Amino acid sequence: MRHIGPSISRRLVLGATLATPFIRRAAAATEVNAYSIWPENYAQPVFNVFEQATGIHVNFVRFSSGEALARVIAEKANPQVDLLFGGPVETFTAGVGKDVFAPYTSPEAAALPGRFKDPHGLWTAIADDPLVFMTNTAFLKQHNLSPPASWDDLLNPAYKNMLQMADARTSGTAVTRIFSIIMANNKDENAAFAYMKKLRQNVQLYTKSGGGGTLPIGLGQAGGGIFFIVDALYTRQQGYDVQISFPREGIGSAAECIALLQGARNPEPAKKLIDWATSPAMQSLYVKEKINFLPANAKVQPDQTMVDMLKNAKVLEIDDNWAGANRERIVARWVAEVLNS
Amino acid sequence: MLSLIWLLLALFVAFPLLMLGIRAATDNGTFDLMPAINALRQTNTLRAFLNSLLLATLVGVLGTALGFLFAFTVARARVGRLMAWLLDTATLLPLISPPFTTSIAFVFSFGPRGFITHGVLGWENAQVYGLRSTLVAEALTYFPLAYMALRPMLTAIGGNLEEMAFSLGSSRWRAFRTVTLKLTVPGLANAFLLLFAASLADFATPLILAGNDLPVLPTEAYLQITGMFDLKGGAVLSLLLLVPALLVFLLQRRLVARRSYVTLGGKGVRASAGDSVTPKLRWVLVIGCMLVVLFIFYLYGLLAYASAVRAFGANGTPTLANYRVVFTQGMPAIRDTLIIAAIAMPLGGLYGVLVGSLVGRVRGGQALELVSMINYALPGTVVGIGYLVAFNTPPFLMTGTAAIIIACYIFRYSPSGIRTTIALLAQIDRSIEEASTSLGAGTATTFRRVMLPLVLPAFFAGLSVVFIRSMTAISATIFLVSIHWTLITVRILENMTELSLGPAAAFSIFVIVVVLVVTKGLELLLRQLSGRSAQLMMVERE
Repeated sequence: MRHIGPSISRRLVLGATLATPFIRRAAAATEVNAYSIWPENYAQPVFNVFEQATGIHVNFVRFSSGEALARVIAEKANPQVDLLFGGPVETFTAGVGKDVFAPYTSPEAAALPGRFKDPHGLWTAIADDPLVFMTNTAFLKQHNLSPPASWDDLLNPAYKNMLQMADARTSGTAVTRIFSIIMANNKDENAAFAYMKKLRQNVQLYTKSGGGGTLPIGLGQAGGGIFFIVDALYTRQQGYDVQISFPREGIGSAAECIALLQGARNPEPAKKLIDWATSPAMQSLYVKEKINFLPANAKVQPDQTMVDMLKNAKVLEIDDNWAGANRERIVARWVAEVLNS
Repeated sequence: MLSLIWLLLALFVAFPLLMLGIRAATDNGTFDLMPAINALRQTNTLRAFLNSLLLATLVGVLGTALGFLFAFTVARARVGRLMAWLLDTATLLPLISPPFTTSIAFVFSFGPRGFITHGVLGWENAQVYGLRSTLVAEALTYFPLAYMALRPMLTAIGGNLEEMAFSLGSSRWRAFRTVTLKLTVPGLANAFLLLFAASLADFATPLILAGNDLPVLPTEAYLQITGMFDLKGGAVLSLLLLVPALLVFLLQRRLVARRSYVTLGGKGVRASAGDSVTPKLRWVLVIGCMLVVLFIFYLYGLLAYASAVRAFGANGTPTLANYRVVFTQGMPAIRDTLIIAAIAMPLGGLYGVLVGSLVGRVRGGQALELVSMINYALPGTVVGIGYLVAFNTPPFLMTGTAAIIIACYIFRYSPSGIRTTIALLAQIDRSIEEASTSLGAGTATTFRRVMLPLVLPAFFAGLSVVFIRSMTAISATIFLVSIHWTLITVRILENMTELSLGPAAAFSIFVIVVVLVVTKGLELLLRQLSGRSAQLMMVERE
């Protein structure tokens, strides 16, 4: 037998290797596929717990919000995944406009406030993520500044060429920031754009991803910027010396959401994941896993340091319907008037 | 066999381009050029187009100059073995690195708190984003292409022609000007076009370094699709990129086709180099090269450092945590990438040799060669979006499989195998085959004993290029990865947007090591098989 064994197995291995790329990987009994907008170090631990609890394995790839949505739209005729997981609400309202989601209402949704769910069940919130100002402590000291406490503080010439924030074409963070500025100006769009044009003078770089500027700010390559609290706290956790502050006029907050896709191949396990993600089962992991979101589910106690930090912050409500309807127009205006000015 | 190749080319080269064109020119199934025209009329599009051309021209000039400096130094300045090794390594590294590596090192070296601008020079408000850094980073990444194109040429010229000029009483400067430089002009033009095309297609460097004021076409097309969910706009922008790319490609072909300026056939002519440069000039050349080499090593050193500390710039404690991430969370990407590379490599090598040997031997060979080069000549963004549009719906449903990535690699990165085969076969006269046959050998024997050993180096060159690019390419495949099949390079980009600089650096180091090991292994294998020390490293741009 010895003389046959190796050649058979070699042929088998070769055949199997050559065949693999032409088939989609065989599906295990129960699994579900997702595009995760949450970074891997957040998504992986919670999906592990989900698998332990339900036996359902989650296959996922991480993409930034814009890219994940672009893929979902491009693959509409032939969906590659069942779920869009994580990512700011404005990405999901944009997706509703492109007709890519299927309605599903989790049992937890009834108790959620209006801004945490789509009226038709097309998306549901799993967390809340306010924007913050983040500044480099050494930079502030060097220029004798205190952490910015008003939108106008960021116009200070000391910040010239030293701010980094996200590009509205790719980043949900940026779109939420622009909506915040419009809200802080009482929906006076022209005033908001006049402000943003002034702010442009101080911007060193509009980054492709929402958190792209946090590391440069941590390193002192830039002085400050506007980020989701999740990214700001992560920067701090890594050991960079940064300040987190809020404008007294108020700043926006984005719900982080989950949605079932139209034509999902594994709808049942996908719905189970939605049920689980909207429930305390997942959201109570945030504190333990150092996932710096506020839970959306009121039954879950948020992290105390975050509560203290947000105690004096004024959070502005962004009208999701208005935002969804005006997103494309506002981004286009931002590109034309601010980015390319 | 020929019709099969044509069929494959139709499916994987012509069809995606056609679909891309259709997508750009139709709206919901009806023919409508208005959206495309509107996209073209935007001032931003024009700006991106002009920026792309400007950047490509500057990179072409600077990169060719650097390549010439290196090639001339190696060919003329009698460098020692250590120096030659340093130069070779420094020119190899940028060609086999995953994208973003040098760009990231640039950001940390030249910003307001950059190691060099602030730490060493003490400047307060240095700015890193913009034309200058993008230009220098791209030139450093691509000048090795110019070096590789120019070195053999300069070595060949030095051997006899310069000597003749000297013996006819010419001065060094005059010999340089009237012989060396004049004979190198087509080579310089060729190198310039190589670099121009490489810069035109580069997606990764401007994504990191261009900043707000230098939009270029490949990044704009990517942003249009990923950010504005506008596949049509992206298609239009990428088709715009196609025009200069094809122009440059055709120009380069004409240039190379007319290559009759150097006789490479002369055997045993050993260049008595060194006479053509004065000792003083020799030092200038060597120091110039060393500065570039040191800078490249510094950039990679920074990368290695970032991969081995807890938090770059904040916590310098040595750690293996980043490599742990690579070998745990990164394992699926590594496995997928290696499987894809392992399949694409032999198929691509075979395809290259096959097409290459058909070109000179069949009717329509010229057309075959031209079509087989299209996917290589096009910027990756165009190819990637084309594949995305073409293979997402029946009848050719391929999204989500590894096959779409493998096909992309085979048809995009085999041209070096094709060209090497053509070049090798052109060197030998048909009469050798005929001699073999007339001496009584059958067709099979002739192929095995005569042809095969001859094209073996081409096959290996094809293997090595396809492997290197399977490990490092991103501009096309970023549109093709899926939930089931992902790639290391896409992980690196994701890591960087996730702010996990350490793992991104560790991934890059891992890729560089794997590529070095595999290509060296291929070189050894080729030496074993063919019994001669063939120069294998045929590296191409992404």
